[in-house]
Amino acid sequence: MTTFGTRLHTMFKGRLVGKDADGRSYYESRKQNRLGGGELRHERWVIYKKGEDPSAVPPEWWVWLHHGADAAVPVSKRHPWQASYHANATGTAKAYHPQGSDYDGGKRAKATGDYESWSPEE
Amino acid sequence: MAKVIVDGIPVEVPNGSSVLQACEAAGKEIPRFCYHDKLSVAGNCRMCMVEITGARKPLVSSCSHPVMEGMHVTTDSETIRTARRSTMELLLINHPLDCPICDQGGECDLQDQAVGYGRDCSRYTDEKRAVVDKYMGPLIRTVMTRCIQCTRCIRFTNEIAGTAELGGIYRGTSLEITPFIEQSLVSELSGNLIDVCPVGALTSKPTAFHYRSWELKNTDSIDVVDAVGTNIMLQIRGNEVMRVLPRKNDDVNEEWLSDKGRFSLDGLKRRRLDRPWIKKNGKLVEASWTETIQYVADKLKTVAADRIGAIAGDLCDAESMLALKHLVNGLGSANTDCRQDNAYYDISERGNYVFNSSIAGIEDADALLVIGSFPRQEAPVLNARIRKRWLSLTEQFPIAYIGELPDDPTYKIDHLGESPELINELLAGNHAFVDILKNAKRPMIILGHGALIRPDSKVIFEKTMALANAIGAVSEDWNGFNILHHAASRVAGLDLGFIPQGQGKDVAAMINGGVDVLWMLGADEVDISTLSPECFVIYQGHHGERAASRADVILPGATYTEKSGTYVNTEGRVQRSFRAICPPGEAKEEWSVICSIGQALAVEQPYQNLETLRQYMTEVNPVFAQCGLVKNSVAVSVGDGAQGNFEKQPLTAVISDYFLTNSISRASLTMNECSKLRYAPSAEAAE
Repeated sequence: MTTFGTRLHTMFKGRLVGKDADGRSYYESRKQNRLGGGELRHERWVIYKKGEDPSAVPPEWWVWLHHGADAAVPVSKRHPWQASYHANATGTAKAYHPQGSDYDGGKRAKATGDYESWSPEE
Repeated sequence: MAKVIVDGIPVEVPNGSSVLQACEAAGKEIPRFCYHDKLSVAGNCRMCMVEITGARKPLVSSCSHPVMEGMHVTTDSETIRTARRSTMELLLINHPLDCPICDQGGECDLQDQAVGYGRDCSRYTDEKRAVVDKYMGPLIRTVMTRCIQCTRCIRFTNEIAGTAELGGIYRGTSLEITPFIEQSLVSELSGNLIDVCPVGALTSKPTAFHYRSWELKNTDSIDVVDAVGTNIMLQIRGNEVMRVLPRKNDDVNEEWLSDKGRFSLDGLKRRRLDRPWIKKNGKLVEASWTETIQYVADKLKTVAADRIGAIAGDLCDAESMLALKHLVNGLGSANTDCRQDNAYYDISERGNYVFNSSIAGIEDADALLVIGSFPRQEAPVLNARIRKRWLSLTEQFPIAYIGELPDDPTYKIDHLGESPELINELLAGNHAFVDILKNAKRPMIILGHGALIRPDSKVIFEKTMALANAIGAVSEDWNGFNILHHAASRVAGLDLGFIPQGQGKDVAAMINGGVDVLWMLGADEVDISTLSPECFVIYQGHHGERAASRADVILPGATYTEKSGTYVNTEGRVQRSFRAICPPGEAKEEWSVICSIGQALAVEQPYQNLETLRQYMTEVNPVFAQCGLVKNSVAVSVGDGAQGNFEKQPLTAVISDYFLTNSISRASLTMNECSKLRYAPSAEAAE
């Protein structure tokens, strides 16, 4: 979600360019107000959904957002073998934990250097 | 001394040295495969070629060519290099190019020298030789196609090990090294074949394909499986000891290591005590260190001081024994004992319980009497030294044994019998062997634990001492009275006074109801079946065995690889090891736990850390001040009034199973397999 200032800026200076498949809105400024790549060009920004960080932007829109293309790559250009895009999960419950991590139960397969401990049942 | 000029450098070497030794004295490295310092000269690899100016045939193999006065030797010239390249090409004709899958890779003499003298391509188009692999037991892996016929292994088994198990069959390029019959090697020193082999023909079987030599880090240590105090190098990767290699020390082990010391290391990873346990309602439950230390301290407070006892095992370091002795004495008890087998020692003088002649001194002796000991099993490396002396051609070395012979001693002996009465006969001069001892200039007597753990061991000890005096074994410059220990911690324990003093109780008295609280410091070999169920047992050690199952509190400890410790070998040589890896789980060095319990009990302790503990150790006994040296009192005084009679039963061997003598080797799968093959061969046919 946006701050109040960003909303005002978007309302007065922005122009909606499009929305991605998940519903994030992408804007650019009405005037060419930013110097970049050696020329004056439109400022581009995205309004995230709640709790998102920049890694949530799908690659189709990422390239437009970073002035890599004049328009976002249409979703129809996706190949069937392409994996679907996920935002970075670090710090969330879905984050990756290696085998044996304490966040993942702390159990791992046997490895060299392991020892067998004694227990009274022996 | 002969003066030789090597590459313009004049050196002086003893007469009879080889040219190779002269070159080494001049600091020149000569490539070699078959030559080995400690073995006889074979001269069959032809790699050590050097040029001798003025000789009729200038190119000679330096290892087998004796030096002559004024000889001019060239170690590097185009002719020599061509000769060495040709030798290398011949060796590589039949050597497979399997370095990437060979365990010797990275530490292979052939690989190293091929860098200097190898051709970049092969001119050989015929078929290569292939050799069937030989079975040499569970310790040695063979890939005989890699063999370059240097015959080091044959010479090792013939000369050092004395078992003559390997030999060569067929001739020329078809020569094969073979143990003749398909059975496991019987030498206790067979692991040294792996070190001796310059290529990957003989490699370690239990750790095959486990590591590469360049992945390992080295830590100097001391072997604890016997009392020789073999200098070893622990090679570790991560937190795991991958390999044990002997370090060169001509005073102790030359460059050999016993099989038990080398291959029992997989026992370091099994049955480990890695957390404290407390018995609650008849069941052992896991506990924290804080709770356990408080629990032990509370228990020790409740019992009368003279009802507390401590027994130290055979693998303990001197530090932990001293800490425990200080704690137990500080609580007011004198019940400490490091003699699990209840052996008899006269500790009035240090010379009475150590190997006075020193191991290197065996080579100076000229007659030997062994009583109640079988050094081949109790100290294989020391036995190799006896064999070395026996083999030397300069003087005869008559050897006699009194006691049971479980195996071939690896040299020719005069077996006098098994009865201790023979000592009386020798003393009375009624036996032929006593004349040999009397005529010898430096006679030696080795008294082993077969004679010291009997009810009449005091009599045997004193009579043997009297015999030593009678034959002149103890003089100003020679002390031939020796006790051979087989427990690594024993001499240190005796030096520190870890034995009952004053009214103190010994092991037998402690086990049979003499104490209410028994602290067992790695004591796994004590028979605790007669221990009363009311006795509170504190077991401190690294392996869970019978004693741990019986314990009321278990304090997990560190093995010799996991702590820096001081050990005293049978000669009385103080040696120090370093810590290679960390103890598993929550286990801690024994002395630090004892120190914490002492603090909880408010016992005044003159040490806080390892450094101050070692300082305290030198105060308790000054011998600990100097490491690596032997300083024994020369004169051993004993009265001739040895009284008492011998028991009837013969002197038996003290070790019944060489491979399973301590908690580490008993936990080792390799050692168990070796034991099965050696002592119950019918159960397991050779593969």
